[in-house]
Amino acid sequence: MTTVDDWTPETDLGTPYVDGETVGVTIDGRTVDVPAGTSVMRAAALAGIEVPKLCATDSMKAFGSCRMCLVEVEDAKGVPASCTTPCADGMVVHTDTEQVQQLRQGVMELYLSDHPTDCDGCARGNCEIQALATRVGSAEVRYGLGQQHVEEATDASNPYFDYDPAACIVCSRCVRACSDIQGTFALTVEGRGFDSRISAGGTDFLSSECVSCGACVQACPTDALAEKSLVDLGMPTRSVDTTCAYCGVGCSFRAEVKGEGDDTRVVRMVPSKDGGANEGHSCVKGRFAYGYASHDDRQMHPMVRDTTADEWRVVSWEEAIGRVAEGFRAIQAEHGVGSIGGISSSRCTNEEVYVVQKMVRAAFGNNNIDTCARVCHSPTGYGLNQTFGTSAGTQDFKSVESADVVLLIGANPTDAHPVFASRMKKRLRAGAQIVVADPRRIDLVRTPHVEAAHHLPVLPGSNVAFVNAMAHTIVTEGLHDEEFLRSRCEGVDDYLAFIAREENSPESTASATGVPPEELRAAARLYAGAPNAAIYYGLGVTEHSQGSTMVMGMANLAMVTGNIGREGVGVNPLRGQNNVQGSCDMGSFPHELPGYRHVSRGEVRDIYESLWGVTIQPEPGLRIPNMFDSAIGGSFRGLFVQGEDIAQSDPNTQHVEAALSAMDLVVVQDLFLNETARFAHVFLPGSSFLEKDGTFTNAERRINRVRPVFPSRVGKDEWRVVCEIAQAMGYDMHYDSAAEIMDEIAATTPTFAGVSFARLDAEGSMQWPVNDAAPHGTPTMHVGEFVRGKGHLVETVYVPTTERTTRRYPLVLTTGRILSQYNVGAQTRRTANQTWHPEDVLEIHPADAEVRGISTGDRVELSSRVGTTTLTAVVSERMPAGVVYTTFHHPVTGANVVTTENSDWATNCPEYKVTAVQVGVANAEQRADGAAAQRDLAAQP
Amino acid sequence: MTSTSHQGLPPEIRMGNDIARQLAHLDPEQAAVQVGTHLEKFWEPRMRRRLHELLAAGHADDADPLLVAGMRRLERDATDDAERRKATGG
Repeated sequence: MTTVDDWTPETDLGTPYVDGETVGVTIDGRTVDVPAGTSVMRAAALAGIEVPKLCATDSMKAFGSCRMCLVEVEDAKGVPASCTTPCADGMVVHTDTEQVQQLRQGVMELYLSDHPTDCDGCARGNCEIQALATRVGSAEVRYGLGQQHVEEATDASNPYFDYDPAACIVCSRCVRACSDIQGTFALTVEGRGFDSRISAGGTDFLSSECVSCGACVQACPTDALAEKSLVDLGMPTRSVDTTCAYCGVGCSFRAEVKGEGDDTRVVRMVPSKDGGANEGHSCVKGRFAYGYASHDDRQMHPMVRDTTADEWRVVSWEEAIGRVAEGFRAIQAEHGVGSIGGISSSRCTNEEVYVVQKMVRAAFGNNNIDTCARVCHSPTGYGLNQTFGTSAGTQDFKSVESADVVLLIGANPTDAHPVFASRMKKRLRAGAQIVVADPRRIDLVRTPHVEAAHHLPVLPGSNVAFVNAMAHTIVTEGLHDEEFLRSRCEGVDDYLAFIAREENSPESTASATGVPPEELRAAARLYAGAPNAAIYYGLGVTEHSQGSTMVMGMANLAMVTGNIGREGVGVNPLRGQNNVQGSCDMGSFPHELPGYRHVSRGEVRDIYESLWGVTIQPEPGLRIPNMFDSAIGGSFRGLFVQGEDIAQSDPNTQHVEAALSAMDLVVVQDLFLNETARFAHVFLPGSSFLEKDGTFTNAERRINRVRPVFPSRVGKDEWRVVCEIAQAMGYDMHYDSAAEIMDEIAATTPTFAGVSFARLDAEGSMQWPVNDAAPHGTPTMHVGEFVRGKGHLVETVYVPTTERTTRRYPLVLTTGRILSQYNVGAQTRRTANQTWHPEDVLEIHPADAEVRGISTGDRVELSSRVGTTTLTAVVSERMPAGVVYTTFHHPVTGANVVTTENSDWATNCPEYKVTAVQVGVANAEQRADGAAAQRDLAAQP
Repeated sequence: MTSTSHQGLPPEIRMGNDIARQLAHLDPEQAAVQVGTHLEKFWEPRMRRRLHELLAAGHADDADPLLVAGMRRLERDATDDAERRKATGG
């Protein structure tokens, strides 16, 4: 894998890899062994022979339309296209005979007749036409210049790329990329002959169904579809392989850049074909939304202030770090060791997170370390640990390609995990079926060439009743896997007796779930009857007062049907942020040391105590909501927050702000002065993912390298700053490099035993556990036996939330995400992604809107028992009656002003998905406030 | 702590009740053990102390009886452990 190199175009073998028995072919005198079914084009490329091509690329199946790749095959008639001709044993191929040369020249003349002679892309090196013409020897064009579509204006509507019809050769690569790779089917070819052109459904790209994933741009062999950044900056001069910092898919990218050092500019981000998570695909965030790293709002200097009413004052690193250390020590001297703590971030690397928890445990002397996973997937950790024995998903992403039925619960992958969604849609188009359990009619219920077998609109708060009803149906109808249960699980008889009780039947639970019993039974039969059935889930599962119970309920369902321990099955959390898995792995929870080992275990503390030279507290520390409660109570006075905006992301904003206001010292380490920084006394500038050196671990436990594309723009890596705080507090914490931190992680954490930067650089990525038993990692877990030995079936009794609708608050608010924005929007709001989602809106069912006199575009007041906010309504039949929905990407909307402190019973993960609310048309004053907010939004970024 | 939830309960009572409600289906003795174990494994000591104070100060009526039982079980186990260590010189 490339780390840092002079830039060269990525190798394109023409057609994808296929699996098969090895066959030998001879091409232009060279022999090469390939799997049977491999195209002649690919075999030739593997033999070092590049066959001319235009419509072929190795990210898509061969199309066979451009006729540039013609070859001669001995003992075969004609001149077949090498991209569509499979290799057979003993085949002898000639790729450069006089006959094929003449044919290619003739074909090339036709292309040149409809391609501008002054093509900008050819000049800058981003168009293959002129170079290919030179190569095949086309010197003249006998057919005139054709129409060339020169009268057609470039479509510059998309903020990230242009479409220039004049440069287009209508090879259909972009159309196929949109359909085959992305699965959106937004593009087509309109017209015939010289009139043919690429069309985004008869409108411009921005107004179309296009989701701006950029697959079309990457596929285009000419300059017809080109990144605006490439047009502005020209071709890259070097590239760095790194990992996206957005969602939990964790896509691998090749950052193609110009310049060196501080003058480095990113020309484009190209998803890596050998990236295990994404295999060459990306979304609008990962490919395009990196501009925040150089946004004017970025803070470059440490700052301090005595009170939050004061202006910030820029100071040296030494002064800022000294202020932090002295402040924390003074608080501890007055209020005790446990009066301070820290919060780590899933946007930071494993190495950065590791040193934060080490600072808290070794320098602060307590376990008051928590991470933002508290508010998203902490129930996943609890639930899967209880049932399977480890706090992680069971499969790799590729596993979905072997699934026959997908049960998707409380997740909206096309918005929140788009690259995995594309992989899933590909499998669904190939014949797998999907059951969607979600109150909203998300895209995967019905999207081009995908239609859910069942959409079960499970009402917010009733997931456990739903999953129990699924298991009840399977068990009482005798569809369970008795052999798997008896050989692999414990608690079987008790569970079977529990789940068979009438209270768990679809009929009995229907009043809670809102799901018609027969529909649920049919879905259960489909899941149980599939050779391979896989569960994928998101925050619609975890962010409930019974989130942990629901995770265990899904684990039960998988065990009951034997859908664990092989490809195509499993229980798979779709993690919200890139390094949620990693931040949890690294000991960021207050009750666990790295590797999910409880702090009460003396033999585990011994490992760290002997290495770190300190005593580690054997009792758990405070979780984030406990820190807030304790701050308001007066016993928690100082907080270090790395890369999280808790004042925007955490529930019940008034409560969070009261807690932050009550503290003596709040330290924020971030790229921007975020909402939390309003309550901070020290600001430490952070580094973007383009500056980081380390690793991220994605939702499939895949550890990927993050490599610096340019030097830290603030002069100090975040982990170095954390080390210096620890040192200033009197604890000697020092590393020479991020690699050294990973070496310590590997030396102390059994599941990371075989991980090092050197091994990751050599292998590309590895999925933990990586150890002697699995030296190259573990794509599928619990094969043969569970990590805990026997799988543990848990009686998952449905206990409704205490949050109830009433006449005053008759609707249920549920919150979520949208494709173009990410989390609190700190990054994406500072990019052109604002184009698609400039504000959070409230989706409301037509019936609920009508009785309130609400129309789309109206400003409405959204109120709950804890707060009120205003936002714009969108009347939508995607919503079920009685449920409204919004996102939390914009601080001006403040969705969390209305969410409550209700939380998961086991982990305190907030119950974002269930808030009783009322909605009404906003009054004049609120509308005026809304208009002002709109003006502010319009001024961003 | 003076913080209360929108339900009007101190957080330790609210969170403790949530735990108790989820484990109420178990045999009472087993449920009390599990509630106590959960508090021990996941609650910072000051939270347990605060819960103890709240229960002692008359908030027991707000608390789920299983939470009260779980807390008592935890405290009894802790006392037993301490006495055992004292007896064995550990």
